[in-house]
Formats: sequence, structure tokens, C-alpha cells
Amino acid sequence: MRNASIIQFRHVTKQFNDETVVLDDVSFEIEGGKFYTLLGPSGCGKTTILRLIAGFIEPSEGEIFFNGKKINQVPANKRQVNTVFQDYALFPHLNVFENVAFGLRIKKMKKTAIEEKVSEALSFVNLQGYEYREISEMSGGQRQRVAIARAIVNEPKIILLDEPLSALDLKLRTQMQYELRELQRRLGITFIFVTHDQEEALAMSDEIFVLNKGKIQQSGTPIDIYDEPINRFVADFIGESNIIKGKMIEDFLVEIAGKPFVCVDGGMNPNEPVEIVIRPEDLEIRPEGEGKLSVTVISQLFRGVHYEAHCRDLEGNVWLVHTTKKIQVGDKLGLDFNPEDIHVMRFDESEEDFDRRIEQYTEDESLGK
Amino acid sequence: MGNKFMRNVYMVPYMVWVLLFVIAPILLVLYYSFFDIHGNFSFINYERFFTPVYLKLTLSSFWYAFLITFISLLVAYPTAYLLTKTKHKRLWLLLIIVPSWVNLLLKAYAFIGIFGAYGAANNFLEWIGIGSRQLLFTDFSFVFVTVYIFIPFMILPIFNALNSLNPALLDAANDLGASKSTTFRRVIFPLTLDGVKTGCQVVFIPALSLFMITRLIAGNRVITLGTAIEQHFLVTQDWGMGSTIAVFLILIMFLIIWLTGFRKRGA
Amino acid sequence: MQGKASPAAKIFLMTIIFILYAPIFYLVFYSFNSGGSMSGFEGFTLDWYRELLGDTRLLIIVLNTLVIALLSALFATMIGTFGAIGIHALKRSKNSILGLNSVLIVSPDVIIGASFLILFTIAGIRLGFYSVLLSHIAFSIPIVVLMVLPKLAEMNPSLIDAAKDLGASRWHVFTKVIFPYITPGIFAGFFMALTYSLDDFAVTFFVTGNGFSTLSVEIYSMARQGISLHINALSTILFLFTILLVGIYYVISQRSGLKLGGFRR
Repeated sequence: MRNASIIQFRHVTKQFNDETVVLDDVSFEIEGGKFYTLLGPSGCGKTTILRLIAGFIEPSEGEIFFNGKKINQVPANKRQVNTVFQDYALFPHLNVFENVAFGLRIKKMKKTAIEEKVSEALSFVNLQGYEYREISEMSGGQRQRVAIARAIVNEPKIILLDEPLSALDLKLRTQMQYELRELQRRLGITFIFVTHDQEEALAMSDEIFVLNKGKIQQSGTPIDIYDEPINRFVADFIGESNIIKGKMIEDFLVEIAGKPFVCVDGGMNPNEPVEIVIRPEDLEIRPEGEGKLSVTVISQLFRGVHYEAHCRDLEGNVWLVHTTKKIQVGDKLGLDFNPEDIHVMRFDESEEDFDRRIEQYTEDESLGK
Repeated sequence: MGNKFMRNVYMVPYMVWVLLFVIAPILLVLYYSFFDIHGNFSFINYERFFTPVYLKLTLSSFWYAFLITFISLLVAYPTAYLLTKTKHKRLWLLLIIVPSWVNLLLKAYAFIGIFGAYGAANNFLEWIGIGSRQLLFTDFSFVFVTVYIFIPFMILPIFNALNSLNPALLDAANDLGASKSTTFRRVIFPLTLDGVKTGCQVVFIPALSLFMITRLIAGNRVITLGTAIEQHFLVTQDWGMGSTIAVFLILIMFLIIWLTGFRKRGA
Repeated sequence: MQGKASPAAKIFLMTIIFILYAPIFYLVFYSFNSGGSMSGFEGFTLDWYRELLGDTRLLIIVLNTLVIALLSALFATMIGTFGAIGIHALKRSKNSILGLNSVLIVSPDVIIGASFLILFTIAGIRLGFYSVLLSHIAFSIPIVVLMVLPKLAEMNPSLIDAAKDLGASRWHVFTKVIFPYITPGIFAGFFMALTYSLDDFAVTFFVTGNGFSTLSVEIYSMARQGISLHINALSTILFLFTILLVGIYYVISQRSGLKLGGFRR
């Protein structure tokens, strides 16, 4: 059973005055109580989606629903949504307490109730005792927590986070990733998180929306998106990958580097040109003459956990390989991989077609067995 | 050591300036305030300052300066706010600033013509059916011209404060449930208060000490502290009394700077 | 603070700008009036300009004003620039020196004028060209300092280390690194000093003697005698000159990224 959707976009388009289209006919649904991530390069439209949900901007076309009600014209201050801003946007003239209490004071809540709620919110983010500090006295990580407390204290249905970790250093960022995920579980409300960092997205999300050029390229769980990227953009943007041109001879048989290989994909036209993805960690190093491909090592780097090597096959394709075996430039080797490590992508396939095709041939497969 | 010496050498003219033209003049004004018109040491000037004539003068000078500052602020804040909303705001700002570069005397002189018996202002009043009246040498013309002259100086610091406001803060306030007016009251105004203070400072202090406009536009109807100083120094030659008023003006100046928070002008 | 201006907002702004410019164009308009007063335009004439250009006394005053402005700006810029470099290097006493620096900027003109009058009288300097020049240098120095200091502050200290590392002497560090870097600030300071001087009335009024006058003082005495369209003609010329100065200053400030519009008194 699916939960009822809390946010729904129907054919939403957003263009600004100068006619640049930042969102192009986007439709999706967001369910209550999950951690969502909008992932994409800068200018892909992810922040625009966030600002549309927050109510800072209105869509040019299409409809936005909140719990089934259309909210296109509802202003930001009347929505049950709160935002954690990229640079935190804490009020510099107010101290920590007053920043967190800002929304409650506007609701004209009683003084004692405000004090209670503020201290509860601050203890939620481990900032008890910092009530009367000035914002200028707080470190980056602490400001981050104040911004979160200021959002959750209003008990919104959704919290929007606009690249909130981008200003933090690597170590703090990793720690905050755990804390945010944990916070979302404890609060049980929907988090919509915007980032351009694919590792962050993979680590934190229940569900990821990959965006590019104003369109959602693919949505799904981190594992789905990593294992079965829909197109070259997604495969390239998420994780490291070898993307090689190939030809789909027939279902479950693909031609790579001039040789046929058994794979697990199907539902395409015979002899259709395709692209295949093999992740560098799925390639195994074998002695020369063994394995499925013969290659020569052209460069290598030591990366700590593994060696990263670039190898060229007989057709001239370059393969990125992660291996723990010690190899040297100029070595002639064999590369091996399993049929299920090959992921085949069609050119210009929409997400619906992709889903339908996968459903189709996996059904065929199970019927055939 | 050599470094320090070098620094001192090229700072010498500047330090001489500080001594001769900043510190010495203030001390001289203080010194002269203790001499009566015949050159004898006395406290007579201070006694005279606390007589009703001078106290009334100080009070009315304050009242006019307050009025001028307040009206300037009322006009300047919305203007600055709207300037930040325009597309080419730097250009608009330049348009506002340029008149302040036109010689002050010429602007005051223009109003002698405009507010004159047959000037444009009276023509306008005639045309809308109110009928012409005496405008020049009234409180109204004095306040109007002074506000006219000071407006750009009030707009500039407020504009700079508004312009450096982080737009995300307005989104944040909106996001937390604040309406437009609440956002203005609780976020925009408090955060631009420094600009307002600077603006008030650069208008109030000169407004206390004007003398040229009072003579040309108000026809000596309005006497400010500045007019009184000019009168004593250049007309009655009573430098002692003039210096005494100057001492109080300096004290008031420091008080206002202290009240509005010390800030570099033009910064 | 981004957003779109509503029509009402535009009308408000236009009104403010109209009020700010109306008096100036009023002056310019009547400078072509053959009628002789600032009411009732009788006919177009250039007589006032012709008479103005034939008035040698006034031309000498214009010349005086320009000489005072250029000389005072030049001296103030030199003293102020070196002062700013000195202040920049200070540690402990920086704030008190900056406070003293600001006194003449914040002080009302009347006080500056009156106190300088006392100073020159005591020092035995005759009131005239030199007293006016000295006063103008004095009140222009702090604004030059305020224009140069931000440029020094934004200069990366490693630039100086880098120059020294590459073998530059102290003199070379100054002429090849510091000076070129702060040049925009120096120019801005020079122009501010120039316009301060050209525009000053009150201080000059106090410290000038019988034989010496500047334009502002002259306009004041003319205006006290009532309306004379010579002043209108003069104001047209000065307005055009101001526009030229603003243009130059704008270009400089755009290039150097300085904030527009230092304060005038």
C-alpha cells in the first residue's frame, strides 16, 4: 500500500521574465514521512521546485497540490511548510532564542508556551543552553542547528532543506548527514533535501529525484538509481561508471567492443544501438588471455582503499577499473564481469517507458521460467 | 625600527594636520568661550547662554532640526525602499544623488524664485484655486528647502542598508509565517536601523547649524544655533559668545553621534 | 532586495526625482528669459550669458575658485593618502586616529569656519587666498583618508610579502605594489576633495577676507540682493560642469568598484 501523497506536482512549468524555462512540465508525487532528495547540477531546477513548494514563487503553468488541495496561490506564510536555507538566513539582529521563537511569536502564542517549545526544539538539535547567544557567536555547525530548530519548532508537515550542508567542512558534513537522517526518523515528517552532492543523496535518502535541465530524469530509491540508471546523464552523475556504446542484438544479448555478451536486459528492438554501463568496481582483473576482454593498462593511481586504473581494449574503448590488485602501466590483462553487472540504456527513453519496459521483460522472464 | 621611522616620516604632514586643524581649533573655541566682548576672562557667556533668550533659541533650533530630520526620514525611507526594487537601481540612485552635487547656494537661490510672489509655486496655487500667498520668509519654505537639500543624504545610507539586506532573510520571515507588514516591522526595519541612524545623524547636525538658508529663505525669521554663531563672529564681533554657542553645538554633536552610534560617513 | 516596482511606486519615485530636479531646471529655464525676473518668461535671450562672460570680476572669481579647488584637492590627496597608509599600518591607536579623522567630516560647517577664523587670527595669517586654501586642504584631508583606507584594507597582505619575496625594496613595494593598487581610491578621494572645495560656502565665508572671494560666496552676496538672472546663467554653466564631474567620478567609481556617493556637506 502506498501512503497518500502530501505534495503533488501536475505538469508544472516555471519560466522567469527573461523566458528561460527552469522547470519544464514536471509531474511527481511526494509521500508523507519520507526523506526525499532532489539531486542535480546547478541550474537543473531543484531549488526552483523547493521554492515552489515553499511558496516563494508561483508556477507559470500547472498545478501544485498539498494534501489534495491546490495551493498555487497560497502565499508562503500560510503554508505548513518550513525551510532550512542554504546560508541558514538566521536573523542577525535576534539571538538564538528569538530566532527560533520567530514563527511562534507571529502566531501570537503564549509566552510560557513559546519558552517551552523553543527549549524543546533546541534540545532536539543538541543546543540546550545556547538560548541567549548571538548568531554571530555561533559556529557554522551551530548555526545550521539553529536553522533546523527554527524550522521544526513550527511543527510543519514538510521541511525543505536547500543545500544546508554545503557550507560545512567535510567532517562536519558527514556528521550532520547522520544527524539529519536521524532527526527525520524521530520527527516522522517529510524532508525534502536539495543537493548537488550525489554521495550525500545516496547516503541519506529514501527516494531520490535526479534532475537535469528542468526535467526529472529519474526517480527511485538510491539502490535503483545506482544500479539501473535510465540514461547517460544519470549514470555519469551518480557514482563512477564506464559508459560504452553497444548494440542490442536481441533480448538478453548485447554486443560490446565487437563481441556478444549475455546480459539481463530486454524489451528493445533487434540490433538497436544502445549504451551500456558497467561500474568500475564490477570489473575484475584477470591474467592476460583470461576474462571477457583483453586490455592494456594506460594509467593508474593509488586511492587508498583501491587502485584506480584506466585500461584500453582492442577496440579503443577506455575502461575505468577499481581493483585491490597491484598492477602497472603497460600490463596486458583480461577483464571479467557478470551478466547482471551489465546495464543497458536506450537513447532518449522516458522514465515511464523505462519502467514499463522493465516490468514487461521481467514478467516475460518469469513467465518463461 | 627603520620601518617604524619610515612610517612616522610620511605620516608627519597628516599628524600636523590633526594637531593644527582638528585638535587646536576645538581647544581655541573652548578658550575663547571664556572671554567677554572686551577680552576679559569671565563666565559671562555661559551665564548668558542660560538666559531665556538663548535657551529659547536652542530649543527652537532643536525643534526645526527635529522637524527637518523627521520629514526627511518620512520621504527618504520609502524612496530608498522603492529604489532597491527598481531594475537599474544604481542608475536611479545616481539620479537621486546628482542634485546634491549642485552648488547649495544655487538651489537655495532657485527657491527664492520659485517661492517668490509671482513664482512657480504661487502660480500653481493660483491655478488650483487656493490663491497666491506669502511663501518666502515663512517656516514652511524654510523647512521645505532644507528637507529638499538634505533628502539625498538621508536616502543614501538607508539605500545602502536596504541594499545589503540578505534577501533570504525576507524569504525566511515569510516562510515562518510573517506577512509583508510583519516582515517589515520585525526584520527589514530593525536590520536597516543603522542606515536610518546614520541618515538622521547627517541631517540633524547640519540642520542645527544652518545659517545660509535661514538668511536667504527664512529671512531671519528662523534663527538657529548656526545663525547665532555666524551673527556673533561676523556681525557683532562677540567671538566669546559665538565660541560659547559653538562649545554647546560641539557637545550636542558628540551627544548625537554617541546616541546614533559612531559610524563613518560615506562608508 | 530584488523585486518589481509597481506603477504606484514608479510614480512616487518619479515625483521625488521631479521635485529634486525642478529647481535646477527652473534656474536654467529662466536664464534664457529676456524679462529679467524668475517669473513670466518674456522672450528668449542669451544676453545674461553674454554679460556674464564679459564680467572680468566674476571671471577672476571663477578662476580663484578653480585654483583653490585644484590646489587644495592636490595637497589634501597627498597628505591624506600618506596619512591613510600610516593609519592602515597602525595597530593600537588606529581607532582614536580614525575618530579624530572624522571630527571635521561630522562637524557643522559653521564650527569649522568659526574655529578656523580664530586659528588664522591667532596665527597671524591674513584672511584671503592662503587662509581659504589652507581651510579647504584641511576639510578635504579626512575624506581622502576615508576613500583610500578601504582600498588598503582590501589589499591582500601577501601581495606585499610576495613583492618582498621577489626582491623588491621598500620603495619598490610602495611604488610598484601599494600605489597602483590604491590608485582608484586616490582618484576618488581627489574628486571628492575637488567637489568639496568647489561647493563649500560656509567655511570660506568665515575665513575669506575683503579682497578674495569664491563663487559660492559671490552667489550668496548676489542672491542676498535679490534675483539677478546672471546667477541663473552661471548656474546653467555650473550645472553642466557638475554633470561632467559626476560623469568622471561615476566612471572612476565603476572601474574601482567603490560605493557611489561619498557624502557632501
